[in-house]
Amino acid sequence: MGSIRFDNVSMRFGTFNALEGINLEIGEKEFVAIVGPSGCGKTTCMRMVAGFEHPTGGTVSVNGARVVAPGPDRAVVFQQFALFPWKSVRENIDLGLRNKNLPKSEREDRIARALKLMNLESHADNFPHQLSGGMQQRVAIARAYVLDPSVLLMDEPFGALDAQTRVVMQEELVRISRVNPRTVLFITHAVEEAVYLADRVAIMTRRPGRIKEVLDIKSIREAEQWDKHSRIEDVMDIESFVHLRTQIWKSLREEKGSDAV
Amino acid sequence: MSRRSWIGLATMIALIGIWFLTTATGLVSTMRFPSPRDFWSALHQIATRGYANGTLLAHSLHSLKLVLMGFATAVVTGVPLGLWMGWSRKAEAAINPVFLIIRPIPPLAWIPLAILWLGLGDAAKVMVIWFAAFVPSVINTFAGVRTIERPILEASRMLGTPRLRQIVEVVMPAALPMIFTGLRLSLQASWTTLVAAELVGALLGIGFVLNVAQQDIYPGMILVGMATVGVLGWVTTRALGMVERRALAWNVAARD
Repeated sequence: MGSIRFDNVSMRFGTFNALEGINLEIGEKEFVAIVGPSGCGKTTCMRMVAGFEHPTGGTVSVNGARVVAPGPDRAVVFQQFALFPWKSVRENIDLGLRNKNLPKSEREDRIARALKLMNLESHADNFPHQLSGGMQQRVAIARAYVLDPSVLLMDEPFGALDAQTRVVMQEELVRISRVNPRTVLFITHAVEEAVYLADRVAIMTRRPGRIKEVLDIKSIREAEQWDKHSRIEDVMDIESFVHLRTQIWKSLREEKGSDAV
Repeated sequence: MSRRSWIGLATMIALIGIWFLTTATGLVSTMRFPSPRDFWSALHQIATRGYANGTLLAHSLHSLKLVLMGFATAVVTGVPLGLWMGWSRKAEAAINPVFLIIRPIPPLAWIPLAILWLGLGDAAKVMVIWFAAFVPSVINTFAGVRTIERPILEASRMLGTPRLRQIVEVVMPAALPMIFTGLRLSLQASWTTLVAAELVGALLGIGFVLNVAQQDIYPGMILVGMATVGVLGWVTTRALGMVERRALAWNVAARD
């Protein structure tokens, strides 16, 4: 279980058309990234799936059911981590499980697995302020994964990290999503990141926000065997990767030209 | 002791030195402001033999009791009200207009009404202290809830946190730094109001000491009363600060 569907979705803020005619289907266990210039409404798309915002037209549905409110079946990883600073790493990860009223032994099992998955075992009893930004975002990802959500929503999750940490986290996310595939909607403005992580990349335009085109990355990645390389810089050197990246850049740049000031 | 504490101590000693010199040379008349010797003898008198119905300890404990009762009542009522107003727009819409009218009334203006309702005893004084301490508790708790970062609340909702747990485990701790700011201001207001409340119809307490000393034209004792309020206020503020540091150990901004 885990499909997301945008059906002719639009969003108006007063007289401002933020999104118009958004149609996108994300299949089960598919990793889709939305790229676009800032202010194009890509984060709003994610927030509507999360249930934080509601479209003024059309419907957003998950597993065939229209989204009405936030819930643990749609776990969110925020750009600013949004951990609870007064709770330890373990307590942060535990809150969602306690909300599901799971027995203690099962919660402990699942927390242990999530900590292991994100290499956080030695930090379980630390508080967020004792951790680096990268470690904090690992906690936020563990907090989302532990819920076993049907979809995972990531809003520029590596945007607040330094360049080196960012690369490590990107490699980590590829590792996790190959081992443990999920339906993921990933929002970013970093083109390389989108091409490296996603099965498909949706390119958005601005004013009003529309989906301009959707590129299939997965078939090329598999045909060209990108996964043979564990390091992101090796993948980024492959000709097919470079080609896709350039294609997306051009598409985004045409966009910038069209609304030249 | 840290460098800062040494500087503070040096200032205190300098001030006492100036005090000593100006009164000893007759630059300041001891009829208007007591000399250190007058102060000391008044302190000795009230501490050992007592003054105005009791010893310094009895007066201090009585005042401390009233302040803590008024302050505690204000915290127990003000913090939940602030949380509720911060949490619910409807509660804010209903309560805020009443609050805006009552707020500018100085706490001391309630004294006549409090005496009319509750007589000249301690209950009226606790009520006035409560009113004074209530406002900062409510306002700062309210502001603390309203300034919680949106992602924190969204993360809590996304995790499916039920309402009561969300208030206890997310909203309250997130607002706690501001709540403590409110408590500090409430405590200050409690001491300010106590002295004024005790000036009217008290039989014990620091305010009463000040009142009797004024009638006796006893500057030394007036200064003893003032200094006692200062010391008690400082001690209670320090105690609250220790509770705060313990409760907010997770809050990096509150450290150092």
